[in-house]
Amino acid sequence: MRIIDRARIYSPWIYHLHCGGCNGCDIEILAALSPRFDVERFGIMLVSSPRHADVLLTTGPVPKQFMPMLKRVYSQIPEPKVVVAVGSCASGGSLFYDDSPENYAIVGSVDRVIPVDVYIPGCPPKPEAIINGIVQAIIKLVNKANSPKNAKKS
Amino acid sequence: MSNEFKLLKVILSKYSSPITLNYPSSIAIDKKYSQIPESFRGIPERDKDKCMGCKACYFICSGRATNVIDKENKRIVDIFLFRCTFCAHCQEACPEEAIKLTNKFEIALFEDGPDAHISTELELILCKRCGRPYITKRMLERTFERLMEEINPLVKKEVSNDYQKIMNYCNECRRALSISLDTHTKKYVWLEEL
Repeated sequence: MRIIDRARIYSPWIYHLHCGGCNGCDIEILAALSPRFDVERFGIMLVSSPRHADVLLTTGPVPKQFMPMLKRVYSQIPEPKVVVAVGSCASGGSLFYDDSPENYAIVGSVDRVIPVDVYIPGCPPKPEAIINGIVQAIIKLVNKANSPKNAKKS
Repeated sequence: MSNEFKLLKVILSKYSSPITLNYPSSIAIDKKYSQIPESFRGIPERDKDKCMGCKACYFICSGRATNVIDKENKRIVDIFLFRCTFCAHCQEACPEEAIKLTNKFEIALFEDGPDAHISTELELILCKRCGRPYITKRMLERTFERLMEEINPLVKKEVSNDYQKIMNYCNECRRALSISLDTHTKKYVWLEEL
Protein backbone atom coordinates (compact mmCIF):
# COMPACT_ATOMS: atom_id res chain seq x y z
CA MET A 1 0.00 0.00 0.00
CA ARG A 2 1.31 3.39 -1.01
CA ILE A 3 1.51 6.33 1.40
CA ILE A 4 -1.16 8.26 -0.54
CA ASP A 5 -3.60 5.34 -0.26
CA ARG A 6 -3.10 5.16 3.52
CA ALA A 7 -3.74 8.89 3.78
CA ARG A 8 -6.94 8.47 1.81
CA ILE A 9 -8.30 5.82 4.19
CA TYR A 10 -7.53 7.73 7.36
CA SER A 11 -8.64 11.21 6.27
CA PRO A 12 -11.49 11.41 3.75
CA TRP A 13 -12.42 15.07 3.38
CA ILE A 14 -16.01 15.80 2.57
CA TYR A 15 -17.72 18.64 0.71
CA HIS A 16 -21.37 19.21 1.55
CA LEU A 17 -23.62 20.38 -1.29
CA HIS A 18 -27.23 21.30 -0.59
CA CYS A 19 -29.42 20.94 -3.69
CA GLY A 20 -33.01 21.93 -3.03
CA GLY A 21 -33.84 19.95 0.10
CA CYS A 22 -35.84 20.87 3.20
CA ASN A 23 -32.70 21.31 5.40
CA GLY A 24 -33.58 18.22 7.50
CA CYS A 25 -30.68 16.15 6.17
CA ASP A 26 -28.32 19.14 6.39
CA ILE A 27 -29.06 19.54 10.09
CA GLU A 28 -28.34 15.84 10.63
CA ILE A 29 -25.02 16.14 8.78
CA LEU A 30 -24.04 19.05 11.03
CA ALA A 31 -25.12 17.00 14.06
CA ALA A 32 -22.79 14.23 12.91
CA LEU A 33 -19.91 16.73 12.86
CA SER A 34 -20.67 17.91 16.39
CA PRO A 35 -18.77 16.58 19.47
CA ARG A 36 -21.58 14.16 20.39
CA PHE A 37 -20.97 11.99 17.33
CA ASP A 38 -17.51 13.37 16.52
CA VAL A 39 -16.67 12.15 13.01
CA GLU A 40 -13.11 13.37 13.38
CA ARG A 41 -12.45 10.08 15.19
CA PHE A 42 -12.50 8.61 11.68
CA GLY A 43 -10.52 11.53 10.21
CA ILE A 44 -13.55 12.88 8.39
CA MET A 45 -13.41 16.66 7.97
CA LEU A 46 -15.69 19.21 6.31
CA VAL A 47 -13.88 21.40 3.78
CA SER A 48 -15.11 24.60 2.17
CA SER A 49 -13.91 23.98 -1.38
CA PRO A 50 -14.67 21.05 -3.71
CA ARG A 51 -11.06 21.17 -4.94
CA HIS A 52 -9.86 19.87 -1.57
CA ALA A 53 -12.48 17.15 -1.17
CA ASP A 54 -12.57 13.40 -1.73
CA VAL A 55 -16.23 12.79 -0.94
CA LEU A 56 -19.24 14.80 -2.13
CA LEU A 57 -22.31 14.76 0.13
CA THR A 58 -25.52 15.79 -1.61
CA THR A 59 -28.94 16.33 -0.03
CA GLY A 60 -32.37 16.96 -1.50
CA PRO A 61 -34.03 16.44 -4.89
CA VAL A 62 -32.20 18.33 -7.61
CA PRO A 63 -34.13 21.28 -9.11
CA LYS A 64 -33.67 21.84 -12.84
CA GLN A 65 -32.08 25.26 -12.21
CA PHE A 66 -29.40 23.68 -10.03
CA MET A 67 -28.27 21.00 -12.52
CA PRO A 68 -25.35 22.97 -14.10
CA MET A 69 -23.97 23.89 -10.65
CA LEU A 70 -24.07 20.27 -9.49
CA LYS A 71 -22.23 19.13 -12.62
CA ARG A 72 -19.65 21.88 -12.17
CA VAL A 73 -18.97 21.01 -8.52
CA TYR A 74 -18.67 17.34 -9.48
CA SER A 75 -16.11 18.10 -12.18
CA GLN A 76 -14.06 20.28 -9.78
CA ILE A 77 -13.40 17.41 -7.34
CA PRO A 78 -10.08 15.69 -8.11
CA GLU A 79 -9.97 11.97 -9.00
CA PRO A 80 -10.60 9.53 -7.33
CA LYS A 81 -13.93 10.84 -6.03
CA VAL A 82 -17.02 9.37 -4.42
CA VAL A 83 -20.57 10.75 -4.36
CA VAL A 84 -22.85 10.02 -1.39
CA ALA A 85 -26.60 10.70 -1.62
CA VAL A 86 -27.94 11.53 1.84
CA GLY A 87 -31.68 11.12 2.49
CA SER A 88 -34.47 9.53 0.52
CA CYS A 89 -34.98 12.64 -1.66
CA ALA A 90 -31.43 12.43 -2.98
CA SER A 91 -31.35 8.64 -3.35
CA GLY A 92 -34.79 7.88 -4.79
CA GLY A 93 -36.75 11.09 -5.36
CA SER A 94 -39.14 10.42 -2.46
CA LEU A 95 -42.23 12.65 -2.58
CA PHE A 96 -40.96 14.47 -5.66
CA TYR A 97 -40.68 11.30 -7.74
CA ASP A 98 -42.71 11.42 -10.95
CA ASP A 99 -42.54 8.94 -13.80
CA SER A 100 -45.02 10.43 -16.23
CA PRO A 101 -45.63 13.27 -16.65
CA GLU A 102 -42.25 14.48 -15.49
CA ASN A 103 -42.12 17.20 -12.84
CA TYR A 104 -41.72 20.63 -14.47
CA ALA A 105 -39.24 21.98 -11.90
CA ILE A 106 -37.54 19.06 -10.18
CA VAL A 107 -35.32 16.38 -11.73
CA GLY A 108 -35.58 13.94 -8.80
CA SER A 109 -32.81 11.74 -7.49
CA VAL A 110 -29.16 12.76 -7.82
CA ASP A 111 -28.23 9.70 -9.92
CA ARG A 112 -30.17 11.18 -12.85
CA VAL A 113 -27.53 13.94 -13.09
CA ILE A 114 -24.23 12.49 -11.80
CA PRO A 115 -23.14 8.90 -10.92
CA VAL A 116 -23.79 8.06 -7.24
CA ASP A 117 -21.72 5.48 -5.31
CA VAL A 118 -23.40 5.19 -1.91
CA TYR A 119 -27.06 5.75 -1.03
CA ILE A 120 -28.22 6.54 2.52
CA PRO A 121 -32.03 6.30 2.71
CA GLY A 122 -33.92 7.86 5.61
CA CYS A 123 -36.05 10.94 6.13
CA PRO A 124 -33.79 12.27 7.57
CA PRO A 125 -31.15 9.56 8.27
CA LYS A 126 -29.73 9.41 11.79
CA PRO A 127 -26.23 10.90 12.27
CA GLU A 128 -25.00 7.35 12.93
CA ALA A 129 -26.43 6.21 9.58
CA ILE A 130 -24.56 9.06 7.85
CA ILE A 131 -21.30 8.04 9.56
CA ASN A 132 -21.93 4.44 8.50
CA GLY A 133 -22.51 5.59 4.90
CA ILE A 134 -19.33 7.67 4.73
CA VAL A 135 -17.27 4.82 6.16
CA GLN A 136 -18.67 2.59 3.40
CA ALA A 137 -17.78 5.30 0.86
CA ILE A 138 -14.13 4.99 1.95
CA ILE A 139 -14.16 1.36 0.76
CA LYS A 140 -15.29 2.55 -2.68
CA LEU A 141 -12.70 5.33 -2.65
CA VAL A 142 -9.84 2.86 -2.13
CA ASN A 143 -11.21 0.52 -4.81
CA LYS A 144 -11.39 3.41 -7.26
CA ALA A 145 -7.84 4.56 -6.46
CA ASN A 146 -6.46 1.07 -7.08
CA SER A 147 -8.37 0.46 -10.32
CA PRO A 148 -6.20 0.09 -13.48
CA LYS A 149 -7.84 3.14 -15.06
CA ASN A 150 -6.32 5.47 -12.47
CA ALA A 151 -2.98 3.66 -12.33
CA LYS A 152 -2.26 4.56 -15.96
CA LYS A 153 -2.92 8.24 -15.33
CA SER A 154 -0.52 8.49 -12.42
CA MET B 1 -18.48 35.90 39.17
CA SER B 2 -18.87 34.49 35.64
CA ASN B 3 -15.16 33.91 35.34
CA GLU B 4 -15.13 31.88 38.53
CA PHE B 5 -17.97 29.73 37.22
CA LYS B 6 -16.02 29.11 34.03
CA LEU B 7 -13.04 28.00 36.09
CA LEU B 8 -15.23 25.64 38.10
CA LYS B 9 -16.63 24.17 34.86
CA VAL B 10 -13.16 23.51 33.50
CA ILE B 11 -12.10 21.81 36.74
CA LEU B 12 -15.26 19.67 36.86
CA SER B 13 -14.98 18.65 33.21
CA LYS B 14 -11.79 16.76 34.05
CA TYR B 15 -13.76 14.42 36.32
CA SER B 16 -16.83 13.94 34.06
CA SER B 17 -17.03 11.37 31.25
CA PRO B 18 -16.76 12.57 27.61
CA ILE B 19 -19.95 13.54 25.72
CA THR B 20 -19.03 11.59 22.60
CA LEU B 21 -21.05 8.44 22.02
CA ASN B 22 -19.00 5.39 21.22
CA TYR B 23 -21.02 4.84 18.06
CA PRO B 24 -20.31 1.43 16.56
CA SER B 25 -20.22 -0.33 19.93
CA SER B 26 -23.20 1.32 21.67
CA ILE B 27 -26.18 0.77 19.38
CA ALA B 28 -28.07 -1.89 21.34
CA ILE B 29 -31.53 -0.83 22.58
CA ASP B 30 -31.22 -2.17 26.11
CA LYS B 31 -28.05 -0.20 26.87
CA LYS B 32 -28.50 2.74 29.20
CA TYR B 33 -26.96 5.47 27.07
CA SER B 34 -27.98 4.11 23.71
CA GLN B 35 -29.08 6.51 20.96
CA ILE B 36 -32.06 4.47 19.70
CA PRO B 37 -35.40 5.23 21.35
CA GLU B 38 -37.93 2.39 21.48
CA SER B 39 -40.36 4.16 19.15
CA PHE B 40 -37.74 4.82 16.47
CA ARG B 41 -38.94 4.15 12.91
CA GLY B 42 -36.41 2.21 10.86
CA ILE B 43 -36.62 -0.31 8.02
CA PRO B 44 -40.12 -1.76 7.50
CA GLU B 45 -40.48 -5.53 7.77
CA ARG B 46 -43.32 -7.58 6.32
CA ASP B 47 -44.55 -10.83 7.84
CA LYS B 48 -44.81 -13.32 4.96
CA ASP B 49 -47.48 -15.43 6.63
CA LYS B 50 -49.78 -12.52 7.51
CA CYS B 51 -49.73 -10.37 4.35
CA MET B 52 -52.71 -11.02 2.06
CA GLY B 53 -52.09 -8.52 -0.75
CA CYS B 54 -55.07 -6.22 -0.15
CA LYS B 55 -53.26 -3.10 -1.50
CA ALA B 56 -54.13 -0.98 1.57
CA CYS B 57 -50.45 0.02 1.94
CA TYR B 58 -50.23 0.79 -1.78
CA PHE B 59 -53.09 3.30 -1.71
CA ILE B 60 -51.94 5.11 1.45
CA CYS B 61 -48.21 5.38 0.60
CA SER B 62 -47.45 9.08 0.12
CA GLY B 63 -44.01 8.72 -1.45
CA ARG B 64 -45.07 6.07 -3.99
CA ALA B 65 -42.53 3.70 -2.45
CA THR B 66 -44.94 0.76 -2.31
CA ASN B 67 -45.70 -1.01 -5.57
CA VAL B 68 -48.04 -3.89 -6.36
CA ILE B 69 -47.35 -5.82 -9.56
CA ASP B 70 -49.49 -8.67 -10.91
CA LYS B 71 -47.48 -11.14 -12.99
CA GLU B 72 -49.32 -14.20 -14.33
CA ASN B 73 -50.16 -16.25 -11.20
CA LYS B 74 -48.29 -14.12 -8.70
CA ARG B 75 -48.78 -10.76 -7.00
CA ILE B 76 -45.61 -9.03 -5.82
CA VAL B 77 -45.98 -6.47 -3.00
CA ASP B 78 -42.83 -4.40 -2.82
CA ILE B 79 -41.37 -1.46 -0.85
CA PHE B 80 -38.54 0.47 -2.52
CA LEU B 81 -36.32 1.61 0.37
CA PHE B 82 -34.68 4.52 -1.50
CA ARG B 83 -38.05 6.24 -1.87
CA CYS B 84 -39.46 5.28 1.56
CA THR B 85 -39.72 8.06 4.17
CA PHE B 86 -40.38 5.68 7.11
CA CYS B 87 -43.64 7.47 7.98
CA ALA B 88 -45.33 4.25 9.23
CA HIS B 89 -48.61 4.99 7.42
CA CYS B 90 -48.57 1.47 5.99
CA GLN B 91 -48.22 0.07 9.51
CA GLU B 92 -51.38 1.94 10.56
CA ALA B 93 -53.35 1.01 7.45
CA CYS B 94 -52.52 -2.71 7.40
CA PRO B 95 -55.64 -4.66 8.52
CA GLU B 96 -53.63 -7.80 9.32
CA GLU B 97 -50.77 -6.00 11.12
CA ALA B 98 -48.27 -7.59 8.76
CA ILE B 99 -46.00 -4.54 8.35
CA LYS B 100 -43.94 -3.37 11.28
CA LEU B 101 -41.15 -0.79 11.36
CA THR B 102 -38.02 -2.13 13.04
CA ASN B 103 -35.21 -0.31 14.84
CA LYS B 104 -32.60 -0.94 12.15
CA PHE B 105 -31.16 2.16 10.50
CA GLU B 106 -27.80 1.15 8.99
CA ILE B 107 -28.93 0.84 5.39
CA ALA B 108 -26.22 2.48 3.32
CA LEU B 109 -26.20 0.67 -0.04
CA PHE B 110 -23.96 0.80 -3.10
CA GLU B 111 -26.68 0.31 -5.72
CA ASP B 112 -30.32 -0.43 -6.41
CA GLY B 113 -30.32 -4.20 -5.88
CA PRO B 114 -32.39 -6.85 -4.12
CA ASP B 115 -31.31 -5.42 -0.74
CA ALA B 116 -33.12 -2.17 -1.52
CA HIS B 117 -36.47 -3.92 -2.00
CA ILE B 118 -38.69 -5.53 0.64
CA SER B 119 -40.95 -7.77 -1.41
CA THR B 120 -43.25 -10.73 -0.87
CA GLU B 121 -44.81 -13.04 -3.45
CA LEU B 122 -48.45 -14.08 -3.12
CA GLU B 123 -50.50 -16.61 -5.06
CA LEU B 124 -53.33 -15.33 -7.27
CA ILE B 125 -56.55 -17.24 -8.02
CA LEU B 126 -57.83 -17.42 -11.62
CA CYS B 127 -61.51 -16.98 -12.36
CA LYS B 128 -63.19 -20.25 -13.38
CA ARG B 129 -65.28 -18.63 -16.11
CA CYS B 130 -63.10 -15.96 -17.75
CA GLY B 131 -59.63 -17.10 -16.63
CA ARG B 132 -58.40 -13.74 -15.35
CA PRO B 133 -56.54 -13.38 -12.01
CA TYR B 134 -58.72 -11.45 -9.56
CA ILE B 135 -57.81 -12.04 -5.89
CA THR B 136 -55.07 -13.60 -3.78
CA LYS B 137 -55.66 -16.97 -2.18
CA ARG B 138 -55.10 -15.74 1.37
CA MET B 139 -57.38 -12.73 0.96
CA LEU B 140 -60.24 -15.01 -0.09
CA GLU B 141 -59.83 -17.12 3.04
CA ARG B 142 -59.56 -14.09 5.32
CA THR B 143 -62.63 -12.33 3.87
CA PHE B 144 -64.66 -15.51 4.43
CA GLU B 145 -63.48 -15.74 8.06
CA ARG B 146 -64.27 -12.07 8.72
CA LEU B 147 -67.69 -12.39 7.10
CA MET B 148 -68.61 -15.31 9.35
CA GLU B 149 -67.56 -13.38 12.48
CA GLU B 150 -69.73 -10.33 11.84
CA ILE B 151 -72.82 -11.82 10.21
CA ASN B 152 -76.25 -12.36 11.76
CA PRO B 153 -76.38 -15.94 13.13
CA LEU B 154 -79.82 -16.46 11.52
CA VAL B 155 -78.41 -16.36 7.98
CA LYS B 156 -75.00 -17.82 8.72
CA LYS B 157 -75.64 -21.20 7.11
CA GLU B 158 -77.12 -19.90 3.87
CA VAL B 159 -74.43 -17.27 3.37
CA SER B 160 -71.61 -19.76 3.86
CA ASN B 161 -73.24 -22.10 1.33
CA ASP B 162 -73.67 -19.28 -1.18
CA TYR B 163 -70.15 -17.98 -0.67
CA GLN B 164 -68.62 -21.35 -1.44
CA LYS B 165 -70.61 -21.49 -4.69
CA ILE B 166 -69.34 -18.14 -6.03
CA MET B 167 -65.89 -18.25 -4.45
CA ASN B 168 -64.04 -19.09 -7.65
CA TYR B 169 -65.58 -16.45 -9.92
CA CYS B 170 -64.46 -12.84 -10.42
CA ASN B 171 -66.72 -9.88 -9.58
CA GLU B 172 -68.12 -9.48 -13.10
CA CYS B 173 -68.85 -13.18 -13.49
CA ARG B 174 -70.56 -13.28 -10.08
CA ARG B 175 -73.06 -10.71 -11.28
CA ALA B 176 -73.75 -12.67 -14.44
CA LEU B 177 -74.13 -16.01 -12.65
CA SER B 178 -76.11 -14.82 -9.60
CA ILE B 179 -79.48 -16.11 -10.83
CA SER B 180 -78.30 -19.40 -12.29
CA LEU B 181 -76.39 -20.28 -9.07
CA ASP B 182 -79.27 -18.98 -6.87
CA THR B 183 -77.07 -16.53 -4.94
CA HIS B 184 -79.06 -13.33 -5.53
CA THR B 185 -79.33 -11.15 -2.40
CA LYS B 186 -83.09 -10.65 -2.74
CA LYS B 187 -83.79 -14.05 -1.23
CA TYR B 188 -82.69 -12.77 2.20
CA VAL B 189 -85.41 -10.10 2.35
CA TRP B 190 -87.88 -12.36 4.11
CA LEU B 191 -85.29 -13.27 6.73
CA GLU B 192 -84.68 -9.66 7.70
CA GLU B 193 -88.41 -9.12 8.32
CA LEU B 194 -88.35 -11.82 10.95
